Amino acid sequence: MTFKNLFIEHDVTPEVKAWLEEEIAEQEERYLAVEGAMADLAPMREKWYQEFFDRLTKHGFNQDGDDKIVIKSSDLPVKPEGREDKVVWKYGIDGE
Amino acid sequence: MARPHIEPFCDRDVHFKNMKLPGFSSGMSYKMLSLDNDTGACSMTVQLAGGYQQPPGFSWSEMEMIVIEGELQVGEKVCRKGHYFYIPAGYAMPMMTTQQGCLVLMMYNTGEPSLEPSTQHHALAQVDLFHNIDSYMDLPWAMGNVTKPSVAAGCLIKLLNYNPISHAMTFLYCMTPAFKQDNISYHDCAEESYHLWGTSWMMQFGEVPTGGYFWRPAYINHGAFASEYGCIALGRVDSKLFNYFHYNPWSTPIENQNRAGARLYQRDPLLYKWAISYDHNHPHGPEDFEQTMQRRGDSGHEHDNEHHSDGTRHDHWHGHNHHNPDSPHHHD
Repeated sequence: MTFKNLFIEHDVTPEVKAWLEEEIAEQEERYLAVEGAMADLAPMREKWYQEFFDRLTKHGFNQDGDDKIVIKSSDLPVKPEGREDKVVWKYGIDGE
Repeated sequence: MARPHIEPFCDRDVHFKNMKLPGFSSGMSYKMLSLDNDTGACSMTVQLAGGYQQPPGFSWSEMEMIVIEGELQVGEKVCRKGHYFYIPAGYAMPMMTTQQGCLVLMMYNTGEPSLEPSTQHHALAQVDLFHNIDSYMDLPWAMGNVTKPSVAAGCLIKLLNYNPISHAMTFLYCMTPAFKQDNISYHDCAEESYHLWGTSWMMQFGEVPTGGYFWRPAYINHGAFASEYGCIALGRVDSKLFNYFHYNPWSTPIENQNRAGARLYQRDPLLYKWAISYDHNHPHGPEDFEQTMQRRGDSGHEHDNEHHSDGTRHDHWHGHNHHNPDSPHHHD
């Protein structure tokens, strides 16, 4: 079994190119809306992080499936100074 | 794949647009979920109006689709919700119709949506790869531990498609009511999900409801996870899925990738050292002899200059050639 022809070369018409350009522009707007909404969620997320840490120290961290290990408070991470709480990364490692 | 991080997004929040691309019949409308800016590959929620008729034809792109609501007639087969198709590029599908209308998730994996009218498969179509199944009725749920470390026990899957070379997968997954998984995860692969029904929650992004969607590039934190009343979704990964679990919500994708590299070094030190050593940085990875070796049925001994499993072609300049006997990349 091979997977060599996942795509077949073909001519892309101006009509298709125009459609792609329109969709790319709309996607940019969609991305900005997502990014803005996630920035707005930051205060709520701070609360969720604290609740997460509380569960880790009380009920445990899922290290594999349902195997849990309780995390000591002293082992919880410290937020690096000056780092913003960012959860949306446009192109992942390629965008950093 | 150059799709931006879209997470979370809900298709219920936007209107359908009429499909204007050539080949498709009127009565097809869509909501774009994500799009690869380079190739046009995309995922869309598609509404086919009652009475819609699509003539037989093939796509230039590999595609997958699953019926979300309603009935879709494909040739003689009536497909109801949960019916999944994997359709290789160039594979001619029979006429598709719907009497009452239906909602379908369509994923064009390697190029823009296209429909070339034809009753014949393209000469390059890998017709043997085509498959389809009623995933709701004809597949059992299995434990979600397809990789270790694994998801918690209340997350179940039905495997729909698997690429044995890249380990890319398409699968249904569900979370049982009151599901909880207290860790943060990231992967070496991009991940995509569409919520067919129900709501789940992730600590970074909040609730993802019915119609909720994400396309997430590799190495981005997600989780902890929960679902109060349960959910069922279609998920995809574009290469091998490995769960890197941790509990630092402030780590960046680069830091996560470095950690993944450190884990590879600890687990497979010889492979790691070879991979980073001088002159092994071929843009498409090293040669896999099983894909290039001469076989008894071969008519000639030709270098593979066709498509690679990642959709790229090999017949371009990438800094060295394979024909110089002194090249470390030389092969006869």
